[in-house]
Amino acid sequence: MAPAKEQNQKAFRLKRRNWGMAVDEDRCTGCEACVVACHAENNIATVGEEQAARGRAMHWIRIERYYEGTFPDIKVKYQPVLCQQCDNAPCEAVCPTYASYHNAEGLNAQIYNRCIGTRYCANACPYEDRYFNFVNPAWDEPLNLQLNPDVSVRSVGIMEKCTFCIQRIRAAEINAEKEKRQLKDGEFNPACVQSCPTEALVFGDLDDPESRVSRLAKSNRAAKLLPDLGTKPKVTYLRRGSWYDEQNT
Amino acid sequence: MQAIYGLYRDPDSAQQAMDLLQQAERGLGFNDNQILVLTGEPYEDHAFGMQNKKTIMPWMSAGGGLVGGLLGFWFISFTQRAYPLMTGGMQIVTKWPDGILTYELTMLGAILTTVVTLLIAARLPDWRRHVFDPAIGEGKILIGVTDPPEGSQDELRRRLRSAGAVEVKEFIA
Amino acid sequence: MNKTPEQINEELLLPLNSTSWRYYLAVAALGMLVLVGFYAWGYQLDHGIGASGLDRPVFWGVYITDFVFWIGISHAGTLISAILRVSNAEWRRPVTRCAEAITVFSLLIAATFPVIHLGRPWLFFWLIPYPSERGIWPQFRSPLLWDFFALNTYLIGSFSFLLLPSFPDFALVRDRSEGWRRRLYGILSLGWRGTPKQWHRLEMAMRIMAVAIIPVAVSVHTIVSWDFAMALVPGWHSTIFGPYFVAGAIFSGIAALIIVMACVRKLLHLEEYLEPIHFDHLGKLLLAMSLIWFYFVFAESLTTWYGNQPSEMTVFWLTRSGSFSPLFWMMVICNAIIPVPILSIKRLRSKIGWTVLASIPIVIGMWLERFLIVVPSLEQNRLPYAYGTYTPSWVEIGITVASFAAMPLLYLLFVKAVPIISIWELKLGQHEKPAEVAAPVPAEEIVQGATASGR
Repeated sequence: MAPAKEQNQKAFRLKRRNWGMAVDEDRCTGCEACVVACHAENNIATVGEEQAARGRAMHWIRIERYYEGTFPDIKVKYQPVLCQQCDNAPCEAVCPTYASYHNAEGLNAQIYNRCIGTRYCANACPYEDRYFNFVNPAWDEPLNLQLNPDVSVRSVGIMEKCTFCIQRIRAAEINAEKEKRQLKDGEFNPACVQSCPTEALVFGDLDDPESRVSRLAKSNRAAKLLPDLGTKPKVTYLRRGSWYDEQNT
Repeated sequence: MQAIYGLYRDPDSAQQAMDLLQQAERGLGFNDNQILVLTGEPYEDHAFGMQNKKTIMPWMSAGGGLVGGLLGFWFISFTQRAYPLMTGGMQIVTKWPDGILTYELTMLGAILTTVVTLLIAARLPDWRRHVFDPAIGEGKILIGVTDPPEGSQDELRRRLRSAGAVEVKEFIA
Repeated sequence: MNKTPEQINEELLLPLNSTSWRYYLAVAALGMLVLVGFYAWGYQLDHGIGASGLDRPVFWGVYITDFVFWIGISHAGTLISAILRVSNAEWRRPVTRCAEAITVFSLLIAATFPVIHLGRPWLFFWLIPYPSERGIWPQFRSPLLWDFFALNTYLIGSFSFLLLPSFPDFALVRDRSEGWRRRLYGILSLGWRGTPKQWHRLEMAMRIMAVAIIPVAVSVHTIVSWDFAMALVPGWHSTIFGPYFVAGAIFSGIAALIIVMACVRKLLHLEEYLEPIHFDHLGKLLLAMSLIWFYFVFAESLTTWYGNQPSEMTVFWLTRSGSFSPLFWMMVICNAIIPVPILSIKRLRSKIGWTVLASIPIVIGMWLERFLIVVPSLEQNRLPYAYGTYTPSWVEIGITVASFAAMPLLYLLFVKAVPIISIWELKLGQHEKPAEVAAPVPAEEIVQGATASGR
């Protein structure tokens, strides 16, 4: 171990993080607060009734509802699905213009300016978690006044997707760097995690063994979405465990 | 440029004319390169149509393909290293996909080289005025001598006619 | 058929020299349809790609179907012409240029579709690798880049393949016309004269090109198939796709070639050049391709069914018995059940009307096949919650119709500018035949005889 003094003399460097998320299906009530928060945070356009009916609604995070059993003995299962930030992402390699690529932290970055709208990434994504601006986005007054200045507004013909609220990651990093300290677990959260009333969503550094998210990722309820595809997703789902079953049988 | 030529209806008499001209070369003072053959379609089964048959075109095309492929691979791997971005968990220089592009550029190199070699070897394009007779489009075969030496004209005419020329003409530019 | 060179010139140059009012009418009608397509595209540029019927999760639809279809049609020409040249099939002579022109035009049509399909089509040139102000190069791991390169190679190759043997014919037109046409064809012919050297180089170039273009054509459609096969989508991610697409392309290509040849024959009065025997030969090829196509469909279906993976089976049943089943079974009827019996019977196959009758459903069926590959897999991709449906909008239908009108339009313009049958190659075939039959004359005798009469 080098002495602390020597450490301080060296230029301060933030630890590189491996951001990940855990989704506890036991806790999810399907309230969709995360969806609304995501829309507000990330300037996601609302396309309107008609376009939404045509399947062009954009929600970077969505609550999938699955029904198990037959009426009246029916169980509803909520599964929040957002970009899984795969390590081997099928969307990245197919983009001809590097609009979709892997950034240094291992996130699937989407560079809007580079996107020419081939929509190949959206086909390649097995989670169907890429959203395309089929029409020019518009915000009805006064919604146009609440646009987040930290996030660029996308135009028609561009693919967009969940970024793990990269603007919040960068803001927290800049603050920490200014104060010459490392980021703390739970110091900041993406909008969906922040707004989840039941704390079903947990965000943090997967490389830090002490973080909540990495502890949850090791839970015996932990599972990945479509794991057989070998995409190495960074979102862990905590399947409905014994606690839920005990309460309901 | 000046020329004396005969037009022949069938390849056999054209061949005869060709032979007669070749026999007279030394006596009248001209050489093989001055003998002109123009046809409306290739006659590869007759000696008069076999002038300048030898060519290195296939080797040029193969070489062009090789150059295209090497340049292609170098260029693609250069761009990948020049702005290295990770995607899909793949390497920066991905050999398999680069192989596909190398293949396409190999073929492109070969095709472009073939076209360019053809144009150079066949001396095209050349829009200057040359000895020519549109009658070759009707299946006639033109056999003649360009820039015939002084005083040889009458003998050449006689020889061209004796081989069975439909017509013996003179071309003066 | 035995014709003098003068007759051949006159009959084959006739379309260049005389034009009837029906021609103008046809050009005007087709031109109107193409304009409708341009209007539809303009509408889409104005309204965004939302003017199409595309949605989430069906991000690719009719445009990609058209793209793959027209690339497939392009395999009619250069590939078949090249195979016939390499194998030195004598009957190819009146067919080759007719076929090569199809390739160039359908490739031009096909190449517009990826651009039409883009969300921001004005930025399509970002696929071209050039040192840009953005400091970034295109991503060569993307199958779309492979497409871009393969398509360019193929377009340049097949355009050269069409152009090179046209020089002597341009020279022929030059010598038989006056005024501006003489000057124009003089330029186009590059001053072709017809020296033995020029002929040798041209023939050698064509031999090299024929060998080079076959692997290029195969690679082009393989790479088009990889646009699908490289993605982790059920029904797409299959190793069979390369050969399956190539076979399908040749299949639809031959069918298109037969239809085009029948039209050219009738409209340009080339009955004595394009004879029933040519349709018979192409009909045999078409029959073989139909059987190969069916074999591929069967092999693909059986492996999927036997493997019985849930996500694959979802798409499988969606096409075989679900909402796409009418289209699927129509495709099977069009591609196998109608043409195979017609083409198997010699008496029907040797009649031009019947081969055309077998070819038209194949063109329709192969378009359906492309559609059935693109859309159902996207409708029911992995997660059931994200399932969707897709109906093409009028914009997509308009542009597709325009593409089908653009092909005959370009062809009509082409036959007015270029002799549709390669005249010199046809004449070459004429004079080579008697030479084979004639008894060889000893060379010595000729020389002696010549000397005797010359002196």
